[in-house]
Amino acid sequence: MSDQIHHNSAISHVTGESVYINDMLMSSQLLFGKVVFSKYAHAKIKKINIKKALKVKGVHAVIIAKNIPGENQMGPVIHDEPCLAEKVVTFVGQAIALIAAENKDALLQAEKLIEIEYETLDAILDIETSIAKNNILAPQRKIERGNVDLALKNSPHTFKGELKTNGQEHWYLETQTALAVPGEGKEIMVHASSQNPTETQAIVAEVLGISKNEVEVEVKRMGGGFGGKETQGNHVAAWAALLANATKRPVKIHLFRDDDQIMTGKRHRCLSKYEIGFDEAGKILAYKVEINTDAGAAFDLSMAILERAMLHADSSYFIPDVQIIGRAWKTNLPSNTAYRGFGGPQGMAVIENLIDMIARYLKKDSAEIRLLNFYNIDKNNFTPYGQKIDSNRLFVMYDQLIKSSEYSKRRNEIDKFNNENEFVKRGMAITPVKFGISFTTSFLNQAGALVNIYTDGTVLVNHGGTEMGQGLHTKMLQVASVELGISPDRIKVNATNTSKVPNTSPTAASSGSDINGMAVKNATDIIKSRLVEVVISEFERLYPNNKSLNENIVFENNFIFDKLYPQNKISFNEIIKTAYIKQVSLSSTGYYKTPGIYFDRDKGQGNPFYYFSYGMSVSEVEIDSLTGQYKLLRSDILNDVGNSINEGIDIGQVEGAFIQGVGWVTTEELKWDKTGNLTTHSPDTYKIPTVNDIPKDFRVELLKNAPNSGTILKSKAVGEPPFMLAFSVWLAIKDAISAVGNHTIEPDFTLPATYEVILLSSEKIRNKLKVK
Amino acid sequence: MKNTIRFVLDGKIREVDFSKYPELKPTTTVLNYLRSFPEHKGVKEGCAEGDCGACTIVIAEIGENEKLVYKTLDSCLVFLPMIHGKQLITVENLAITENNEKSLHLVQQLLVETNGSQCGYCTPGIVMSLFGIYKNHQNPTKEIIEDALTGNLCRCTGYQPIIEAAQKACVNNCEDHFSKSEKEVVELLKKINSNTETITIKNKSQKYFKPFSISEALRLRNENPNAIIINGSTDIALRQTKKNEFFAEILDLSGVSELKNIKVENNSIVFGAGITIEQVRNYSIEKFPALNKILNVFGSLQIRNIATIGGNVGSASPIGDTLPVLFAYCAKIKLQSENSERIIAIEDFIIGYRQADIKNDELITEVIIPKQDKTGVVNSYKISKRKDMDISTVSSAFKLKLSGESVSEILLAFGGMAAVTKRAKETEKLLIGKKWNRENVETAMKILEKEFTPLSDARSEAEFRSTAAKNLLLKFYLETKQN
Repeated sequence: MSDQIHHNSAISHVTGESVYINDMLMSSQLLFGKVVFSKYAHAKIKKINIKKALKVKGVHAVIIAKNIPGENQMGPVIHDEPCLAEKVVTFVGQAIALIAAENKDALLQAEKLIEIEYETLDAILDIETSIAKNNILAPQRKIERGNVDLALKNSPHTFKGELKTNGQEHWYLETQTALAVPGEGKEIMVHASSQNPTETQAIVAEVLGISKNEVEVEVKRMGGGFGGKETQGNHVAAWAALLANATKRPVKIHLFRDDDQIMTGKRHRCLSKYEIGFDEAGKILAYKVEINTDAGAAFDLSMAILERAMLHADSSYFIPDVQIIGRAWKTNLPSNTAYRGFGGPQGMAVIENLIDMIARYLKKDSAEIRLLNFYNIDKNNFTPYGQKIDSNRLFVMYDQLIKSSEYSKRRNEIDKFNNENEFVKRGMAITPVKFGISFTTSFLNQAGALVNIYTDGTVLVNHGGTEMGQGLHTKMLQVASVELGISPDRIKVNATNTSKVPNTSPTAASSGSDINGMAVKNATDIIKSRLVEVVISEFERLYPNNKSLNENIVFENNFIFDKLYPQNKISFNEIIKTAYIKQVSLSSTGYYKTPGIYFDRDKGQGNPFYYFSYGMSVSEVEIDSLTGQYKLLRSDILNDVGNSINEGIDIGQVEGAFIQGVGWVTTEELKWDKTGNLTTHSPDTYKIPTVNDIPKDFRVELLKNAPNSGTILKSKAVGEPPFMLAFSVWLAIKDAISAVGNHTIEPDFTLPATYEVILLSSEKIRNKLKVK
Repeated sequence: MKNTIRFVLDGKIREVDFSKYPELKPTTTVLNYLRSFPEHKGVKEGCAEGDCGACTIVIAEIGENEKLVYKTLDSCLVFLPMIHGKQLITVENLAITENNEKSLHLVQQLLVETNGSQCGYCTPGIVMSLFGIYKNHQNPTKEIIEDALTGNLCRCTGYQPIIEAAQKACVNNCEDHFSKSEKEVVELLKKINSNTETITIKNKSQKYFKPFSISEALRLRNENPNAIIINGSTDIALRQTKKNEFFAEILDLSGVSELKNIKVENNSIVFGAGITIEQVRNYSIEKFPALNKILNVFGSLQIRNIATIGGNVGSASPIGDTLPVLFAYCAKIKLQSENSERIIAIEDFIIGYRQADIKNDELITEVIIPKQDKTGVVNSYKISKRKDMDISTVSSAFKLKLSGESVSEILLAFGGMAAVTKRAKETEKLLIGKKWNRENVETAMKILEKEFTPLSDARSEAEFRSTAAKNLLLKFYLETKQN
């Protein structure tokens, strides 16, 4: 495929013409919406008085729970999340009231005049307290193979301990936004910044008490999603819809950055407890892990996220006897939600850190231990949940990357550097990614499309996926271009709209191009089969001597021809016109469901994934152990995307995901105070990577000659897997801290490895050395 | 001039008469002003605090030899009257349409070609920062590019293609269609700037003064002692954008050219209070390397282009980046009122948490730094969670003079360790007269650790601050030994 095709919005991005919801031109009748939210983590609402607020000039509506015409709920899976809190609030940032006004000043004034009387209750603000109070969200999940306790007992060496991984704020550049426009009767149109327009439609219908066919949700583009708009976008849409319904005017809500950070869910932080057994060589014999996630105040997607964390607890390693337990705990924080990797990173972090510990303990290079434990090609190739690892690319990629990154040579140079420098230390690590592709909720693995061809030969593609920057629309355009054999400039991909393609799955789980691509292909296949009939009859008329057969008709370069008689040729435009005259439909829906996927949640066994995406990276860092500051010197990445549909876009996904991962493992730190207020609620204190935080030397490659069978254009998913390549940075930092004690002392370590972790852990090692 | 400001936008002089547009306030930000027009919605709000750069615009003003100087700014932190007399350039101005055909500016074209946009929301700001690089550098180094992009957060790309776009685009000696219209714009700006009558904008609840001379500024200060004083407004504007604070009276010094000089006087360098941080940074490379070092990690280029040395000192923030190093350089502050002036040591100027010794008729007019002789060494350090575009968790500046092997003079100033910038006087006392060796430094570190009781907050725990502060002394020691 050509890598010359740029993002189909690239030009409008750089000229500033791309329209996001907040840029849409509206009449002077537009009202602005604001959400009044709880200041307490857990409290009874004793009284709400909105009378004064309603009197503010310019205010058109103030809505509280009792004004909701439909159901007061917006939980995506389990209906446990009120749209507006009524009697009790369960986290700081929970919506209580909504205001619609003509301008910002009126909104602020009205907000101040809303009187809410609370009676505070005890709040649970961390996993430890939630465990102590047995505040579990749902029954625990388990995946098990063999007899782990016996295997641990028989292991020559064991480690037991725990690892904390912090959450992560999505920090999409465009905060949560929605614009609701009331129509005739009960109809409502919602422009949403949502990864899941179908669910947005459902929740808007529910809160308004209307049916789904009265709600139209459209998503032109999002200014970033990363999972943060898989469910959280629904909330803002529902609030805007309620205000629009109440005022009978268009209402827009565009969350202020701090409010967005305070109100919305994040990546689940985890407390994982482990026991691992291994032999002298470093081969893992047994692994028992209990992943405890902080679900926050409600279900949201926590159980699916927990499940994916469990399904990735093995990372890329074969473990003979294994037990993985997952528990999600309720706390009085915003309900945590989807975030790139969807639990996978949290599950993998534990074992990747353990491999590092095993290596240090055995005085070996961690690369060696990783290689030793990789899933094998022809044996030891079943995951703990019973799925066979086919087309294992770990060894190929390991060999290629170890060579291209000059791992061994640099390891020696690092050792030398560390011997010569007392406080500045360097570290390096190689880490693998094996990421399961498909929604683990099997029924979600379906997609729809609607392809229209107009009589001038131009094509409009609609599909169920949403564009959040990942280039999905561009790839879909390319699929249509390849399948119809016409140039991309004759094809347009429209905004995602629930009235064009219904009942879609969220654009999530990295599945966007896999499933929607197949649905688009299905639609173009259907139209092509109709066109072929027209072509055959035209060829019969034009070239009566060479009889064409259906299977020989080729669509290519804006023409249709017979591959046996290439002179039997007709332009695409011409055949479209002919087909129309001959009363042939030029529009078709397309549909796809991923075959062969199932997972038995009770047994913890099945084939939850259609295939695995692989990746590997080597990173080298330098720390200043006196100040805790670090530099990312170099990262080498090799990523498997099958046959890339668009190399430019795929490399962009790999680099972007990796850097987002680097943020998670280094500088991004969520902190709450003792009453449940997020203290890192703005970019002032919540630090995502800047241009200076990327590797000084950054080498990214896609694995060559690696077609994937059974997927659209033999490609693989790319959205999430490279996020976890950032473990190479995390563990390189640990390697550098470990150098402070000449690799004889296991450093204290958590995720993220902030400057605080680096400094205090180094200091502790220095103190231990003094005692020795 | 009453109620009216003028600037160049879209190639023409745009006059804004605040009395005609009640929805416009003098404190309306340039971001919100632009976004009220359908043709200028490219500029985006990502954070409203000057951290993300999605709102980056470029301002051109007349510099030396009647050439335009192009600077990137965060439009979310700039009040509209601050751009009076300047050219405002937005993302929409970069591409040109000729004969119905749109041609992208080179920085835009390269950003497309390198796949430098994904979701596109940060892109207009990135484009403006690239344009800023383009207009200021021919074949910029990677360091220059990265420095200019530090204030633009992108959550999608990982930045690599953006750097590449800058490297590939900035090869035409800064020439583009703006070069062609430069003379015209200079004429327009001269026309606006020929009128130096103080701009006064008043509405029912607000007064905004923008004087163009120091005497006018001092008169207005005397007459409006409660007016908030701004120059770059990067600190003050946050109080409006983040905390919805309402400013009834504002005295904007950004038009006072007398505050924008750097002079050499009496063996000192005198920085006018209105000199931007970026100017101080560039000026101090050789003269005050420890100051330069700290300013290299001060905010972003967008912030440094407008934030002033006077403003940074005047905010008296305990985590202000310049203060410890100004302590170490024994800087002085000149304060003027209509009838008097005084010069005060920086250490005496800072009197409490965000409190400075400044009377309600005084303005900071100069920051004076004595020239450094070769007998001593000054170094500075900043520790922050993220290397760039972050506020100090701990910062410090140290000054050392040795007589033989012994310490004859030492000054250890710390930011982030107390409610004010503070010297570690006990530690200094211990070290004075002692040999400058590791053993004595390590003993001093133990005293230093006890000398402060820092806070735990969103940036770090107290233990980190204490440990880092004492380690900085060791780091300083090791570096003095290296050189």
